[in-house]
Amino acid sequence: MDAYAVSVLTNIGLLGFLALSAYLVLLAGEMSFGQQAFFGIGAYCGGMLTAMAGWPLPLAALAAMAAGAAAAVAVALPTLRLRGLYFAMATLAAAEMARIGFELLHWQVEVAGEPVGPDGTQGFRGIRWVFEAGLAPEGYAVLVWTALAAVTALLAVAERARLGATLRAVGEDPALAAALGLDVHRFKLGVIAASGGLAALGGVLFAHHNTYIEPRNFDVMLGVHGLAYALIGGLGTVFGALVGVALDVGLLEGVRVFQGYRMIVFGGLVALLLVLRPRGLLDEETVRWIGRRFS
Amino acid sequence: MLELKGVTRHFGGVRAVDGLDLLVPEGCIFGLIGPNGSGKSTTVNLITGLFPLTAGTILFRGERLDDLPTHRRLQKGIARTFQNIRLFGRLTVWQNLWVAQNSPEDRARRSFFARWLGGRRRARDEIAHLLEFSGLAHKADEFAANLSFGEQRRLELARALAARPRLLLLDEPAAGMNSEEIGQLRERILALRARGITILLIEHVMELVMGVTDRIAVLNFGQKIAEGSPAEIQADPVVRKAYLGGGAT
Ligand SMILES: Nc1ncnc2c1ncn2[C@@H]1O[C@H](COP(=O)(O)OP(=O)(O)OP(=O)(O)O)[C@@H](O)[C@H]1O
Ligand SMILES: [Mg+2]
Repeated sequence: MDAYAVSVLTNIGLLGFLALSAYLVLLAGEMSFGQQAFFGIGAYCGGMLTAMAGWPLPLAALAAMAAGAAAAVAVALPTLRLRGLYFAMATLAAAEMARIGFELLHWQVEVAGEPVGPDGTQGFRGIRWVFEAGLAPEGYAVLVWTALAAVTALLAVAERARLGATLRAVGEDPALAAALGLDVHRFKLGVIAASGGLAALGGVLFAHHNTYIEPRNFDVMLGVHGLAYALIGGLGTVFGALVGVALDVGLLEGVRVFQGYRMIVFGGLVALLLVLRPRGLLDEETVRWIGRRFS
Repeated sequence: MLELKGVTRHFGGVRAVDGLDLLVPEGCIFGLIGPNGSGKSTTVNLITGLFPLTAGTILFRGERLDDLPTHRRLQKGIARTFQNIRLFGRLTVWQNLWVAQNSPEDRARRSFFARWLGGRRRARDEIAHLLEFSGLAHKADEFAANLSFGEQRRLELARALAARPRLLLLDEPAAGMNSEEIGQLRERILALRARGITILLIEHVMELVMGVTDRIAVLNFGQKIAEGSPAEIQADPVVRKAYLGGGAT
């Protein structure tokens, strides 16, 4: 396989984390325009821990996930109880603040005679753990996809358990869920924490794939893509979010005809789907239909 | 079992419930009737905590209820049905019952992980029983949104029972039912009382209310205008003037 193909594959996997994190929030009945911030926090945290502090990647990934989850909860705590679009607005605002924060972040240390660390708008280069650990690009692609598969499997199990049904209930009608004895606020906070952690995991892996990150990587369009993937793919199953990624990257990136018009086609596709299939391609009805075919 | 003291709720200038005192003894079927807009549904919403009280207190088994958030109240063994049917339309019938199993017994019996991450297996027998009781066994895997009106009403009742309630609040469970369905509902309500569940029944269908209740309170403009046995209520001139004689069904 050529290097370009491997890199594309890895990128699809990385976007998968973002899409899954957007999917989780949607399941709980909220919409976040800020998952890119948690992705970015994961990238910066993870990169700083391996490149500056010399941590091994797995440990840095765990710490970055915790940071992403904490950041997500910090945004949700004051805004989640407000009705309507407040949460969506708050996530957007917080994410822009985070991006500006990355631009203002200058903190470099000397590693092997060279300054390493975030340098504001100049970005953060030299996140070389993967290279130094002797992992080939193919090996790293396998790592990313294994992590994504593990996370997806975990979510698929949770989705079929009572937790999944309860989350859907909370998302569909929170007042009714409360009237059945469910602590709606805690559920939503829990899901949002998980989504922050998941996005951060994607971010760590992204940083170590690229070895160079800059604040612009984590702009609103990244979050909008994550959200769109989940909405296109469908809210009936966790696999929907991944289908959404595959459709965008595979179809639109892969087919030459669309080149140059990609964003227009993508935007049109999202708009069309929201009208025709408000809960995406793999919506609840479709998932049940498929489930019956194969059971 | 349930005690309301001076319970009051204003919506702007509307006194939906106005200084209501109510004592629902354990094990009885208590009727709450009154004209449209007299505050019956609001009373149920206040007991379950959908919105806060303007004034007054609510006690359940001797404990203050009105300072708890909704989900904590419902976890104490209270369940309700809604006048305007409310189900999770995107969940199946089976799942609608599954997510409602939040009684103190259910919470004590299973560990946190078994309760949330356990599959369908563990809950199967209980839910099968509920489906049987409400005649919905053949619809278990149907989305709630696709049920007929009568089936949705039955699912609402089954869901309330999934919470193993000590107190059941029924808000016009017979609305829109034909007389055969009302007959079945009546049997179900009596069967529940026989299991020891206390019931607060709000209903306009007088044949049902007068036939099953032990005691009735009558509301008008948010205030209680009468209380007594079904026979006493039917004979009460004030009630006849405000409600029963007034052309209401
Ligand atoms: N959420 C609300 N906001 C504003 N006003 C309300 C609200 N809920 C109820 N009301 C008002 O409170 C009064 C009592 O309403 P409620 O629904 O309790 O009556 P009800 O006895 O259940 O009537 P019905 O027999 O028609 O169901 C009505 O005037 C109604 O308009
Ligand atoms: Mg009412």
